[in-house]
Amino acid sequence: MKNFNKIFFGTLSIFAFVIACTDLEEELVSDFTEQLTVPGVNVDLGETDGSSQAVQDQIGSAFEKLRDGTAGHNNYWSIQTVSSDEMQVGQKGGDWFDGGIWLDMHRHEYTAANGPLTNTWNTQYNAISEINSNLAKSGLTANEVAQLKVLRAFFYWRLMDVFGNVKIVTSVGSDAPQSSRADVFAFVESEILAALGVSAITADMDLTNSDLTTNPKKYRINQYAAVGLLSRIYLNAEVYSGTARYAEAATAAGWVIDNGPYELTTEGNSSVTNLAQRPGVATDPDTLVGYPAMFAPNNQDNVELIWTVPFDSFKGGGMNFHMMGLHQPSQFAFNFDSQPWNGYQTLEAFYNSYDDGDVRKKSNFLVGQQYSYSGLPLSDWAADDFNPDGTKHLPLNYTPEINELAPNSIRQSGARMYKFSHSQFERNEKSNDFPILRLSEMYMNRAEGLARAAGDWSLALTDVNIIRERAKVSAYSSITADEFLAEKGREFYQESHRRTDLNRFGKYNDAWFEKSASASYKTLMPIPTDAIIASGGSLTQNPGY
Amino acid sequence: MMKKMIFKQTSFFVAFLLSVGIYAQTVSGVVTSEDGPLPGATVQVKGTSIGVSTDFDGNFTIQADATDVLMVSFVGFSSQEIAVGDQDQITVTLIADNELEEVVVTGYGSQKQKEITSAVVQVTAEEFNKGPINNAAQLLQGKVAGLSIYNKGGNPNASATIRLRGLSTVGANISPLVVVDGVVGASLDNVDPNDIESINVLKDGSAAAIYGSRGSSGVIIVTTKGGKSGEMQLSYNGQLSSSSILNRIDVMTPEEFRAAGGSDLGGETDWTEAVTRNAISQIHNISASGGFGNTTYRISANLREKEGIVINTGFEQFNSRANISTRALNDKLKVDFNASFTQRQSSFGNDLVLKYATLFNPTAPVYTEGSEYFPGSSGDAIGGYFETFGLFDSFNPVSIAEQHDLTGERTELNYNLSLGYDLTDDLDIQFRAARQTSVNQNRNYVPVTALLGGNALSPTRRGSASFNDNRFEFKLYEIFGNYNITSDGFNMNLTGGYSFQQDNFQNKGFSLGDFPDDSQDYSFNIDASQDLLNAGFIGANSYRGPDNKIIAFFGRVNVVIDEAIYLNASVRREGSTKLGEGNKWGTFPAFGIGADLNKYLGTDFDLFKVRLGYGETGSLPGPTGLSQVVYNFGYDSGGTGNTSQARAANPDLKWESKAETNLGVEFGNGKLSGSLDLYTRDISDFILETKVDVATYGFDRRYENSGKINTQGLELNLNYQLTDSYETGINLSTYNTTLEEYVIEEGDIRANLGSPGQNATNMLLVRPGEMIGQIWAPRFDGVDADGAPIFGDINGDGQVVASQDKWNDPDADFETAGNGIPTLELGWSNNLNLGNWSVNAFFRGAFGHSLINTFRAFYEPRLASQSSYNFVNTDLALPELTVAQFSSLYVEKADFFKLDNLTVAYNFDIAQGSLINSAQLSANVQNAFVITNYTGIDPEPALVDGGTNVAGFSPVDVLAPGVDRRTNYFTARTITVGLNINF
Repeated sequence: MKNFNKIFFGTLSIFAFVIACTDLEEELVSDFTEQLTVPGVNVDLGETDGSSQAVQDQIGSAFEKLRDGTAGHNNYWSIQTVSSDEMQVGQKGGDWFDGGIWLDMHRHEYTAANGPLTNTWNTQYNAISEINSNLAKSGLTANEVAQLKVLRAFFYWRLMDVFGNVKIVTSVGSDAPQSSRADVFAFVESEILAALGVSAITADMDLTNSDLTTNPKKYRINQYAAVGLLSRIYLNAEVYSGTARYAEAATAAGWVIDNGPYELTTEGNSSVTNLAQRPGVATDPDTLVGYPAMFAPNNQDNVELIWTVPFDSFKGGGMNFHMMGLHQPSQFAFNFDSQPWNGYQTLEAFYNSYDDGDVRKKSNFLVGQQYSYSGLPLSDWAADDFNPDGTKHLPLNYTPEINELAPNSIRQSGARMYKFSHSQFERNEKSNDFPILRLSEMYMNRAEGLARAAGDWSLALTDVNIIRERAKVSAYSSITADEFLAEKGREFYQESHRRTDLNRFGKYNDAWFEKSASASYKTLMPIPTDAIIASGGSLTQNPGY
Repeated sequence: MMKKMIFKQTSFFVAFLLSVGIYAQTVSGVVTSEDGPLPGATVQVKGTSIGVSTDFDGNFTIQADATDVLMVSFVGFSSQEIAVGDQDQITVTLIADNELEEVVVTGYGSQKQKEITSAVVQVTAEEFNKGPINNAAQLLQGKVAGLSIYNKGGNPNASATIRLRGLSTVGANISPLVVVDGVVGASLDNVDPNDIESINVLKDGSAAAIYGSRGSSGVIIVTTKGGKSGEMQLSYNGQLSSSSILNRIDVMTPEEFRAAGGSDLGGETDWTEAVTRNAISQIHNISASGGFGNTTYRISANLREKEGIVINTGFEQFNSRANISTRALNDKLKVDFNASFTQRQSSFGNDLVLKYATLFNPTAPVYTEGSEYFPGSSGDAIGGYFETFGLFDSFNPVSIAEQHDLTGERTELNYNLSLGYDLTDDLDIQFRAARQTSVNQNRNYVPVTALLGGNALSPTRRGSASFNDNRFEFKLYEIFGNYNITSDGFNMNLTGGYSFQQDNFQNKGFSLGDFPDDSQDYSFNIDASQDLLNAGFIGANSYRGPDNKIIAFFGRVNVVIDEAIYLNASVRREGSTKLGEGNKWGTFPAFGIGADLNKYLGTDFDLFKVRLGYGETGSLPGPTGLSQVVYNFGYDSGGTGNTSQARAANPDLKWESKAETNLGVEFGNGKLSGSLDLYTRDISDFILETKVDVATYGFDRRYENSGKINTQGLELNLNYQLTDSYETGINLSTYNTTLEEYVIEEGDIRANLGSPGQNATNMLLVRPGEMIGQIWAPRFDGVDADGAPIFGDINGDGQVVASQDKWNDPDADFETAGNGIPTLELGWSNNLNLGNWSVNAFFRGAFGHSLINTFRAFYEPRLASQSSYNFVNTDLALPELTVAQFSSLYVEKADFFKLDNLTVAYNFDIAQGSLINSAQLSANVQNAFVITNYTGIDPEPALVDGGTNVAGFSPVDVLAPGVDRRTNYFTARTITVGLNINF
């Protein structure tokens, strides 16, 4: 009996203990499981601080996605640039071979397994998912919803421009069938028009019903940004949908020029401190005026910029042009935190397409002997080019001439990108705001739109010459399509426009330095293998691949 | 400081020694066994130091009082205690301690060795590896067939990679569960090897099933030495060792470098020698054990100071352990208490030192004496070291080794309490509570004069300090009962219980820089940092994980029929917080059957047993919160804080489950004994971060139950007593692992080679239907006129399709250049006993595996752009090759055979009745020699990719074995002299 009692009570207490302890709820303590927005306090961090252009709202996390891949390596910017005739990433001996991905990109021999293309695909859809997640928030204003939809249309524009036939997904976690490029074009157009509150773009359209505002803050989308984006999309409409929309492109661009508060950057209206000034180099100016001021690290308030991506060394990383383009000893010219990677070289023909007096030639490129902070000439101790007498050519001298693409591209060869200029003591992330839309593009779009709609390139002359005047080169008296394309290229170097423009002019498949003519199906990039496999059959590959 | 503490503690123990009274009464007698008299048996008066040995006829005479108790013992027999009483002539018959009656610790209990139906291997203290062992896992290296323990390079601060029977999961839990004195999840790091009595390895599914998910990769049960009743026994172990570098990468000498056209800087430096040293280490261990009345105890203290062979690396560790057992309440309540405390101070060193020691220009001097690299400035700003400014990825390794300060302090406290109550003769109940706390405090200081990481040349911001603290806590509560039923020819034992475990992790980190000068270590004076004026440069972060709980109900029944048929069945119902709703609980059964064939086949061997077992265990993912939607928080350019999606949640994540079947035969007769095990295991629904549709999920990867893996293997263990003095044993294992199903049917390729210039070059193939560990590369066929590699046309179609993005193309010319997993692993031990001398030689080898030698892949081609860096110059180097591209040229067979451990020991003859009971002097060599064709530093297999496995928090890729990365430590040969004294 005694034993029985013992056993019974023992068991009972066990049960009581046990039932209390079968709770398996996983309580995450320091992770966020719900969406949260907290208005912040603007702290001025100095010259490059962009808080003057910021807006306190609930959709910040969607706009932050613009920083992924837009101005960095191995993603959208890289594939738009390296596949064009602007730049190459040559194989420099043991550096930059990377499985041949950059050589393939240059020669238009990319395949569906290409890593940067996969990253591009993943980044755009990741951004779209974040936008969809934001759209599901309660309490958004109509303006916030409209901005999100235009932003989403922008990302779909990128996908359509690069890959063509993609899925249109409008809520998190849902799938969609693959749409044709023309259908994606129609979707993008309809989303932007809906946000503008009109059914079509006309010269006298009335945007009072638009949920978008005319707030000039550059880090968000206002009516001018939406219309400007439409002008670019209409300009390419024939490539995307087969139907030309050039007249509307010109109308939209014209509307932005006439109604927007923006001005072209000139020496009279733009002056910022030169943050890259070296005390030991007498020729470094104290301030940057005009064109170079528009792309400097402290360019956040520039009058020409319509919609920009806010990069910041501390708060918003993603722009690494200094690391991507410069050779290691250049670290001492600017006192960077880390050694640069020496990747991107401007193609010689592109560099030579600038006239010598062109303001843009001086501010877009770094060429010649490089000097350190204290004015001493920099040397490259691992130099792989030689003097005529056979000794190593040690001085660090960026030459526009490039010897070859692979396998031993000389490490100092190629003019280096400098449009988005650097600052002294710059950290690994740059602070220059990157323009998605700026007024110069509106001039060029209007010019091209008018010319193509009428079939007469002389209609482009007025606007092109405005741009040329600002660049301090002589005006054209007549212009051909090729000259227009070249001018567009010179103006928008390093802004990831080139591939799209070459496509539109039918020049993308031409031969150029170390590249033979490529097949026509290469104008559309292959859909990444990983995406096709993961889609379980709902995605089919683009033709030719 | 440490040494003072040891001395104090020693004196304290000595003071405990009880004094003994001597009574004058003579008792005599004889000790026999069933085979006749036993000479050399020990007869002791319990509780005193009085003891004698029996003579040739088994007779003894001893001084003892009527109230005394005599303890009679002899090796191989059960000890007996006899009260003297009024006897003056005592006869004692000892009974042979049959090995088969030996008791083996299994999950939640123990069983007689012969009744076990699963693959369990016991390794006793005598069989452990000898010499300076820094981590308890090393004791078992090569001793257990199927247990692979590798510490590539032998970094003293790294934990070994431990695998039992190869791949058991691809996610977390890739190492076996360690159970110390009944407490699951203890770490081998806080058990000093000198405190271990024996280790049981539960190899197969049916044995480990009762431990549930944590035992999915096998279980290693460690039993520490407990007290023995009787007078206190004191023991001292000391070791002094010297380690020197055993193997290094062949690089060019300064003459070869100049001849090959390298940039001649005028000096001559052997950089590997400059950053390595002859390391002196010592280990001291003191323990005291004894008992009085119903209580036994053992207390020990260990001090180890180990220098690494790379300068400024090593650690100093103090560990103390106490085991106390007592009985109460009429001997029905058994109380066991264990506690251990460990404190280790480590100097980690910067891994990059090893890479630059190979790469740096051999004609560069260590210290600067002025050169063109320093136009207009002296070398003071960089601490007086020579540096090659402006050269990509080229830094003076001595500067890094001497200036960077990476240290850490780890404090661990474990304690557990076990209460067992005998309710009746057949029924007992046990309760166990355990707690473990582990705190790490790490510090990394880079002074203003360091070029790498300290920005020594920056006019504005130099020097940096960063701190990282983390804390891990673990609690365990278990309650279970055992019930015995015995009747004729039938014996049943039932166990059932409940187990609750919870662990929790938190960390915080802080970094800033910009210090004034190099006059002091500013990580102890961070208020001098100028970053405090410029807060954007300060990094601060902290994190706390959720409470991870594992709750389980378990039950087991053991049945013995006719003393010759053994049946065993168990079930465990387990739940975890880490899985999705509706998938949290899983049920895992196991059963086994064994038979003593001697009985049924009429044979008369010492041991002849066959057994068959089957068991299922589950496995969990590593990270937490995977089934929940989680956001990241950050501030945007406008200062607004907002959340963004962090990853794609998988609410359907469920248990990964492993089912294993094991057939074993155990045999022993006279001089030969051994066992053979055959097994097959299926891992279903393994959890892995897999590629998914980014359009639907917003992220291109998500943790999913991704497929099925199958492993089949064989393990053989043989022991042969050649002569009375020489015994030899061999154990070998072989297995192969196949990926049977995978969500990505087209397969995948993993493990990126890396920078410089070989990104987007993946080397390990993962394809359903094929073996895991295949290295996938184009075939190297020679060098062409331009110095580029020629790749072979493997499929004979006239075209060479060998670019990296074509790896999966049907026309691709890629092939399996090797496999990262060994085909055969073997250990061969030899024991020789000659009088007072004993010699122990242990050989170990692994065969059939290959390694990708990344040092050669990057630095062996004679790239023109690399003339300022040293070239790797092994026997496989081709001077005409001037292009670096991955191919089968860099995949080498890494079969090896080594004399892992050689010990020669001398046991002193000690007179009876002196203070010292026994003493031994030993000399030991670890890593005496290695026979291999591999040109890299260490031919041991790399079972995972991702560097050293740090307590499961660094993501290692289990599907990519075979990559020998550039940050592996140099291997060392260690010579040790040791002294062991028992009082």
